[in-house]
Amino acid sequence: MHRRFLIPTIVLVLAGVLAIGVSGCSVRAPGQGITPQDGSVLQAPVPVPKEGAEVWADNCMRCHNIRPLTSYSDAQWEVVVHHMRVRANLTAVEHKAIVEFLKGAN
Amino acid sequence: MNSRVFQIGILLAMTATNSHAQEALSDDKYVPREEYEQLKEQFDALKAEVDKLKTTGQPQKPRPDDTVKTPTTEYQLTEQERRSRDQVISDIVENWQLNQASLADSSKFLIAGYATAGFTDQEGEDSNFSAKLVPVFLWKLNDRLLFEGEVEFELENVNGASETEVNLEYANVSYLLNDYITLGAGKFLTPFGLFGERLHPAWINKLPDAPLPYGSGGLAPMSSVGFYMRGGVAVEETKFNYAFYVSNGPNLNTATATKAGTLIFDNYEDINNNKAIGGRVGVLPVPEMELGYSFQVARVAPDGFERVDAVIMGVDFSYVRYIDALGGIVDFRAEWVFSDVENATFDPAGSLGFGPLTFDNKRHGGYVQLAYRPSKNSSEILRRLEFVTRWDMIELPSGAPDETDEQRLTFGLNYWLAPSTVVKAAYRLGNKENNAEDQNAFFLQAAVGF
Ligand code: HEC
Repeated sequence: MHRRFLIPTIVLVLAGVLAIGVSGCSVRAPGQGITPQDGSVLQAPVPVPKEGAEVWADNCMRCHNIRPLTSYSDAQWEVVVHHMRVRANLTAVEHKAIVEFLKGAN
Repeated sequence: MNSRVFQIGILLAMTATNSHAQEALSDDKYVPREEYEQLKEQFDALKAEVDKLKTTGQPQKPRPDDTVKTPTTEYQLTEQERRSRDQVISDIVENWQLNQASLADSSKFLIAGYATAGFTDQEGEDSNFSAKLVPVFLWKLNDRLLFEGEVEFELENVNGASETEVNLEYANVSYLLNDYITLGAGKFLTPFGLFGERLHPAWINKLPDAPLPYGSGGLAPMSSVGFYMRGGVAVEETKFNYAFYVSNGPNLNTATATKAGTLIFDNYEDINNNKAIGGRVGVLPVPEMELGYSFQVARVAPDGFERVDAVIMGVDFSYVRYIDALGGIVDFRAEWVFSDVENATFDPAGSLGFGPLTFDNKRHGGYVQLAYRPSKNSSEILRRLEFVTRWDMIELPSGAPDETDEQRLTFGLNYWLAPSTVVKAAYRLGNKENNAEDQNAFFLQAAVGF
């Protein structure tokens, strides 16, 4: 195996470990995860009921950026979240909470 | 009719404003006489209008007690007013019906997907522009049934002729059996590891290319034809998820000199009666972290060849989180794939010109990727930027015809125009074991998820 990539690899792994370490120290403010990944430039912060919002934030940014709440109608969000329930193996409770939240927030 | 409605509207508005005025005065409890008179006048006028509307709005059929209820001063609509009223009503009904119809449609059907435009310049190869359109069709048949289908249109050069290649990426129906089990069948993205099922769409993948264990010549399946069972369950704070499948399984390459011993995952028609069994289990001790273990076992040799079993295993790790101290989102992924194909003798009689060939058919490969986006930075430009780095590698068995171990290190810079619209630039340092020349490459890619 080539040695030339050894150092970058170690750096990469360390950076990952460091990031996780740092996050372990920072206290998780409630609802902090709901910050849209576009840095809220494309969408105003929305006042939201806590629980559905947290379930949404916890699950919907795991694989890809969160899309603005207004991207879809109620009916379309239903299709999307059904799709994501299957893809992400969400529980029925999460499915329901997220659909309710999105319908109330779009 | 319209003007009448308008008049009533004005009257109502006036009453409403006045009632506010009254509220404001409610401290001293009394209103001046003139104001009272004025209000009373308005109220009477409004009442008269409402009465009038009541009677004219009545069904046309005379009812026995109509004579009692109908005030003697019944307002008669002119023919023209009647016609315009009917017109308004029928317009409203028509509109409502149209709305209902389109709502009913959209509650079932949604077109999503993504498109990309790319540019690649790799050492030792001609630079190239490319484009891809990948629509996703989602059809929610009812609360339990969902159809998902994806078609990929890609520009290809086949034997010097430019063509548009069309691939059915997946098409399957899933059924929510209960809270914990979803069943499905068809062609689906294989729940093996992270990249194939979760990260490969261009608006999700943070780099323009696929990491070495995946894609063409990769070690892990990206899609499968068969059926699956999947779901998730939460035990207190910890979440578990699973996805198991039975599929046609991969084929062993036995006849191509340069590829003997590799697995072909695009297997839409099985070459033997033994199906592949596979799956992935994941655990999320906290919402932002997931650990996964994947496997697939299959009998892979075509009928007539000696028996060969293949076991593929994978481990994966994801960590995605906004970190206050860093003012941004950290996205860390790592996965490794191990492929162990039973030893076999290829071209045993030498009739294909490359045998007899045998080697210890074990391969492995993986990647580690770290991305950071300063999503809380005060500068809008920085908020939209994302820095990515990935190291990937693959190690092939010594003695195999395609043996070229490879390692790469890629640096990427992404600019997010919207949550699913991104422009990516990346530079990849590549190195193949048996190749003196480097395989460095530069990529540009624009991706839109819609
Ligand atoms: C396990 C990873 C994962 C998680 C978790 C996830 N998604 Fe997705 N999402 C995907 C993938 C992969 C696609 C692309 C589908 C494709 O092109 O095949 C996608 C596509 C989408 C799309 C585009 C429309 C569509 O349905 O294809 C939307 C919108 C979306 N996700 C929203 C969400 C929401 C809301 C959540 C939270 C409930 C969520 N996602 C959670 C992986 C995930």
